[in-house]
Amino acid sequence: MAINPHFHHTNQQLTEELIIIEAAKLNPEKFAPLYDKYYKQIFNYVYQRMESKDTAFDITGQVFLKALTNLQKYQFKGVPFASWLYRIAHNEVMQLFRTQKDKRCVNADIGDLRYICEENEEPFFEEYIPVIKKLILNLSGDDLQMVELRFFEKRPFKEIAEILEITEVNAKVRMYRIIEKLKKSLSKIKV
Amino acid sequence: MSPNFNIDRPRITDEEIKKHQNFTELVERFKQQSLKQARGDESWWKNKKIRYSTVIAGVTIICTITYFSLFKNQVKETKTNETLITQSPSPKQNKETKTAFINAPSTKLKTPYSTYKVNNAKGGNITHSTSSTIKVPKNSFVDKSGKDIVGDVTIEYKEFHDVGDLITSGIPMAYDSAGTKYNLETAGMFDIRGSQDGEPVFIKADKKLEVELASANAERKFNQYYLDTLERNWRYIQKDHAKLSALNAANPVLAKVPKATNSKMAAMKNEIEKNIPKKIDSVKVIYTTRAERLPRPKEPAKPVESTLGKPVFKLDGSYDDFPELAAFNNVIFEVGPENKNYNKELHNVTWSDVKVTQGPVKGKNYLLTLSYRSRSEKLVVYPVLSGDDFDKAEKIYEKKLESYQALIDKRSAEEKKLMAEMQSKQLAYLAEQKKKQEAYDQEKALLFAKYNVAEQNALASNFNNMSIQVKATRLFEVSKFGIYNSDCPHPVAEGSSLIPIFMSAEKKAIVHPQFTYLVDHTNKTVYNLDKSNGFTINYKPGNSYSVCLFLQDKMYFCNKAMFTETINSINKTFTVEQIKEDASNLVDFKKAIEI
Repeated sequence: MAINPHFHHTNQQLTEELIIIEAAKLNPEKFAPLYDKYYKQIFNYVYQRMESKDTAFDITGQVFLKALTNLQKYQFKGVPFASWLYRIAHNEVMQLFRTQKDKRCVNADIGDLRYICEENEEPFFEEYIPVIKKLILNLSGDDLQMVELRFFEKRPFKEIAEILEITEVNAKVRMYRIIEKLKKSLSKIKV
Repeated sequence: MSPNFNIDRPRITDEEIKKHQNFTELVERFKQQSLKQARGDESWWKNKKIRYSTVIAGVTIICTITYFSLFKNQVKETKTNETLITQSPSPKQNKETKTAFINAPSTKLKTPYSTYKVNNAKGGNITHSTSSTIKVPKNSFVDKSGKDIVGDVTIEYKEFHDVGDLITSGIPMAYDSAGTKYNLETAGMFDIRGSQDGEPVFIKADKKLEVELASANAERKFNQYYLDTLERNWRYIQKDHAKLSALNAANPVLAKVPKATNSKMAAMKNEIEKNIPKKIDSVKVIYTTRAERLPRPKEPAKPVESTLGKPVFKLDGSYDDFPELAAFNNVIFEVGPENKNYNKELHNVTWSDVKVTQGPVKGKNYLLTLSYRSRSEKLVVYPVLSGDDFDKAEKIYEKKLESYQALIDKRSAEEKKLMAEMQSKQLAYLAEQKKKQEAYDQEKALLFAKYNVAEQNALASNFNNMSIQVKATRLFEVSKFGIYNSDCPHPVAEGSSLIPIFMSAEKKAIVHPQFTYLVDHTNKTVYNLDKSNGFTINYKPGNSYSVCLFLQDKMYFCNKAMFTETINSINKTFTVEQIKEDASNLVDFKKAIEI
């Protein structure tokens, strides 16, 4: 699986980010490089989960505002700053869906659906698309998030764990269970 | 309600995303929110329950305090009807104020007070180790109820003379004069306290102690100030008049030397031992800075020809991350012999993802990662060229190498020129130093010829210690205990400002100090930087500065050269070196911070 390269930073890159963060803690104007670096990523993350483009832009703005407000609480854990932003974005998106469920949507490419089949060692045919969609939509909210993060966005487990505030092992176990569930359902399609 | 499931939804373009990207607006929103929050703290008052509870609690507290103070006053009145004569705060009050206002950065570097006993009925003169004197008139002290003290009084006394003393004392040097901010340069400061059996004593309203403070600075630009710890500001007392002749008069040998001769000798010695060596050093600093600024040409990468029969991978894509590869056309990757996992079958797979990253030897080889589903293969590969591509690349390389060599030669010539310039300047200064030393020796010999052997020895010793000796005395009239200072106010620098980041040189980790001091070597003053402002540094370009940090009992230092380098850099990150653990006394600390 090709891994999203944004999560991989060299030690030097991490140190550079840390220097900016420490400066931004004292002066918000210094936050600009991180804002420019991560704005698009965070927007894509948010927009991937909803229909409305405008709402996605609003939420993205809110994410950065929250990040700036809570920057004093930020603690470096050896992972890129992006993971902290994703966590805020995740919480913001979930907060929105709690009050406005109709805003939620799922976005994927055909390649992603094919990939799910391949991961489950099942062949993929275009006729399966409606059934796979149904299968995915029937997953619980938590499982659906896992599928989005792992299969649609191709994030490594370490990053998924960071976003969902769970351990990496826990993320892997949950993913394994979801694959098992999907495998069972996919085998039924064939029959 | 089940969410919508979109397949292949059109993506938002980068341009559109960028249109919504507005950092200025974000910062504005952040500032407004912070303001709102600050105002929001007042909004709790609008809550009726809280408002009533607070009023009730407030009334209760006021009643309790009033009751106890009345009761306490009644008890006092039964004891004595005398009023307190002096206005000094009690030591308890004093201590409470000091913990908030005077904050020594390190417990290790705290110097003790010298203690002296004086009989109140007799009074007396105290001579401190620095030759400062304290004159105590008879019957100067009273207790808290205004009664004359019977018996001995303990006088605690401490002096501060230089930037090192100021830093370790924790006494703030900021001075607000009618709204204008200054920082004080000291010519000598002292802290004086009095007590009897642990209880504070006070100076009578009609009495004054006289402190003749020994000062290493003979300039006449200073004023006298008293530190008002309640007002949290220095209070101007009067213009300070340094007495230059007092010590010379005390020294029978120096008393014989005319004042003009004495100061002339001091000036000559200062020129030879301080000013000229400083100039020699500065020439070297200038050379190093200039040499560092000379452009460093980058050596071009040499193309390598592919070896016949060795397996290669041909990749499509851009090499933006590796400009050394982008310089060549049609570069291919030869599989290195170190790859044990390589087999021909790798060429038959349609890989879904291919990545090129830096290899084990930077600039020489690369790591090729081939992925398909869960399978991933990593190979160490070498960029090579074949046939015409190699010939073309080699020609380009030769041209580049020529211009590279020319640049290297140019740099080397420039370096040599700068070095010669530096050496000739240094030689000129050394010659000047030698000439001045000869003149000094001649002057000294002429002077010595006038005196006998014993007097000559005393003179020689005096001249040797000229740089550290007390040059003047400053007379203070002490009407209450506390901190007195002979100071010259310097306006707070407004030239440039920055919020610093401190990075430890040893651990390459960010240091979050508890105390930060900016030493202005030009004005001989020290700024206790405000933590709540992120230790913002205001500085005047051209002045010489260093920075000293304290984190618990660890001390860090950024020297003058490093400071100048940092303020001229882009990221404004100050590299600070930890001062060795064994610099735990004041003398070692001062040495470590170049005072």
